[in-house]
Amino acid sequence: MVQRLKEVDVVVIGVGMVGSIVAKELAAAGYKVVGLERGQARFTVPEFQSPAIHDELRFDVRKALMQDNTREPVTFRNQGSQVALPVRRWESFLPGTGLGGSMVHWNGQTYRFQANDFQLASRTRERYGKSFLDPDVTIQDWGVTYDDLEPHYDRFEYLLGTSGKAGNIKGQIQAGGDPHESPRSREYPTPPQKEHFQGALFRKAANSLGYHPFPQPSSNLSQPYTNPEGMKLNACVFCGFCERYACEHYAKSVPQTIILPVLLANPNFELRTGCQVQRINLDSTKKHATGVTYIDAVGREFEQPASLVITSTFAINNVRMLLLSGIGTPYDPATGQGVVGRNYAYQTMSTVASFFDEDVIINPFMASGASGTLINDFAGDNFDHSGLGFIGGAFIGAVNTNGRPIQYHPVPPGTPNWGKGWKQAVVKHYNHTVMFSLHGSSVAQRQNYCDLDPTYRDAWGQPLLRITFDFPPNDIKMAAHVTAKAVEIGKAMGAKQVAGNPRKGPYTVTQYQTTHNTGGTVMGDNPNTSVVNRYLQSWDVPNVFVIGASNYPQNASWNPTGTLGALTYWAIDALTNKYLKNPGRLVPA
Amino acid sequence: MNAPAHIYASFVFGSLLIAAGRWAPAANAAPPPAAKAAAATPAPSAAAAAPPCEACHGAHGEGMAAAQVPRIAGQSADYLRKQLDDYADGTRSNAIMANFAKALSAQQRAKFAARYAAMSAPYTAQAKPLNAVLLARGHQLAYQGDESKRVQACNGCHGPDGVGVPHAAPYLAGQSAEFLASALKAFQDGTRKNDAGQLMRSVAARLDDADIAAVTGYFASVDLSTH
Repeated sequence: MVQRLKEVDVVVIGVGMVGSIVAKELAAAGYKVVGLERGQARFTVPEFQSPAIHDELRFDVRKALMQDNTREPVTFRNQGSQVALPVRRWESFLPGTGLGGSMVHWNGQTYRFQANDFQLASRTRERYGKSFLDPDVTIQDWGVTYDDLEPHYDRFEYLLGTSGKAGNIKGQIQAGGDPHESPRSREYPTPPQKEHFQGALFRKAANSLGYHPFPQPSSNLSQPYTNPEGMKLNACVFCGFCERYACEHYAKSVPQTIILPVLLANPNFELRTGCQVQRINLDSTKKHATGVTYIDAVGREFEQPASLVITSTFAINNVRMLLLSGIGTPYDPATGQGVVGRNYAYQTMSTVASFFDEDVIINPFMASGASGTLINDFAGDNFDHSGLGFIGGAFIGAVNTNGRPIQYHPVPPGTPNWGKGWKQAVVKHYNHTVMFSLHGSSVAQRQNYCDLDPTYRDAWGQPLLRITFDFPPNDIKMAAHVTAKAVEIGKAMGAKQVAGNPRKGPYTVTQYQTTHNTGGTVMGDNPNTSVVNRYLQSWDVPNVFVIGASNYPQNASWNPTGTLGALTYWAIDALTNKYLKNPGRLVPA
Repeated sequence: MNAPAHIYASFVFGSLLIAAGRWAPAANAAPPPAAKAAAATPAPSAAAAAPPCEACHGAHGEGMAAAQVPRIAGQSADYLRKQLDDYADGTRSNAIMANFAKALSAQQRAKFAARYAAMSAPYTAQAKPLNAVLLARGHQLAYQGDESKRVQACNGCHGPDGVGVPHAAPYLAGQSAEFLASALKAFQDGTRKNDAGQLMRSVAARLDDADIAAVTGYFASVDLSTH
């Protein structure tokens, strides 16, 4: 028996970073907002306190903060000819669950994409010609420009208090920052975090090769900060437990520290946790949403009517929500028709390990999730790709985030995988190794997509999301090229041995790479190649907005969160200043 | 607050004269004989020439609660040395300690820090133990923190039950409530500001007097010898 609840103005599905920010703004504007969160409520005190929060077995190995894949996994395959199987243990990527969403366990790496990224297809054609790309590559422009988003990037960074050094303020290159960045309107809210020793080694070597090292922009703060919402954050203590963990110190910018207390204090907002949304309900025309149906923690089914539905779940779950709700045409890779699930992309991660003698003490555990030093000289389109046969790139950085004992064991190639030889190598190299991360872009490709699995269902009886993905040849070439450059930096640091590990196919879902899943509800100017318009409004059901990294037409060389924050404020601007004043299509279809 | 501070000042200035008569901190060349002796035998003998630290911090580094003088026996050498260095260069201000610290070379400061780090002193029970309600509140702040005040658990940095984390954070367990309260007040009003990342100033700013009484009384009640 479905219980029908009183209608509200707005339902927000997923109370993570996006959901918290959107709900806060709409509740403050006077709308009645209900936030439905499938996980539990949790706060810095008591849930994130040590020593429990530093339990590496629980959080790193057993993924305690992640989506419960005994009840709600995804299925995966590399190619359409294969049978996808459920991912029973998260490894490659780690979608979070619970109040605050995946941001609770993020590293705090807070980048902007570059102007070029938002017009990737047109600028690639302009610079390299129409036939430069593999015909299977389906990159496209975003429908928004960097200039559209700049004020919203700025607002997001000031919400977080991000610690960094500007490289370009209004066109003026700033010493010590990233000279490749697109112009920002002002300096970061707080100065960079302290540079660790591996960062200093990297900086020196990168400078000697003529590159442009800069401090990683970090939302683990370098000093106390009060954000525009009045939330006070502390300085980070470099404990090395950011990614996969929650911060105990109010030092990492997550919904709990930057905005949730303000949202929860607003009587226009109601948070309901333990609520698994089954679908967005449509009326008989299929062009108008009437609300959502959800099942609560004790199994009761509710219909929550609403005038406006915002789905702000983790990227791949946004895709699934639309597919389960029948919103938009599912993508068919055979014909290239349809949009929902199209242009699923990821991140192309490579590594370089530089092994030093035992008199070089690295202390890898003295780190935050974003206290590294990096270069953008080989990221995006910051270098000439003529003749290289690929687009995109990667940042290269000594950005290692931790030295946690279970998970961090750098050993040189040729080391046995277990036993005495492995143990001796771990002891020998643990404190004398610098790991570079090469954080690479990911082009969209025709064969990579998401749809509903024909076989496997979740604990509520709904089809699982099926991901079909392998690394595009474009990205494998990119990884090889950039890794060779990074090996040169490792050698310039004076390492005894430098081991490059360029990303190679096939993609494996059983090895951690990154949680930067993008695409599937792509934004754009053309309803035939996008799910939402430039304001993140569904082309098909105008009172549904979809906000997530699922909006990215392809993924750029940087961590996606900064851009998602900018898109969130961009969408809020459209909602409050356009849509809610006059509900309807913001862009003619 | 004012009364103990006054006691502290008069007491220390009195002792200073005695101490200076026995061993002048301003002697600038060789390391003091007492420090040399200390390296061999951590427990100082009353008969030997003693450094002036003892006058206030006690023969065993047990401190003097009534005068807000901290227990320093067994405190981490890194922490003690940093405090002495900070007194010497003015990063931490205290007229009495600055006098001593400035008179010592960096090497001497390190030696004194190591000397007291190697000592142990018996636990001193509080003159006025907390009532059960405040004790429970202190335990909560120590172990869990308080979300409504955005204060994290003390133990997160200061170690389980405030035992201290050498290199990073001093012990609180067994420290006198009077000293801890004076330190929190100093962080609150900004007269003490030698905390990395303003970590203690951030926390202290969010505590009220009742919280300070509770948490300092709690840590003062922790007898490490029973751990």
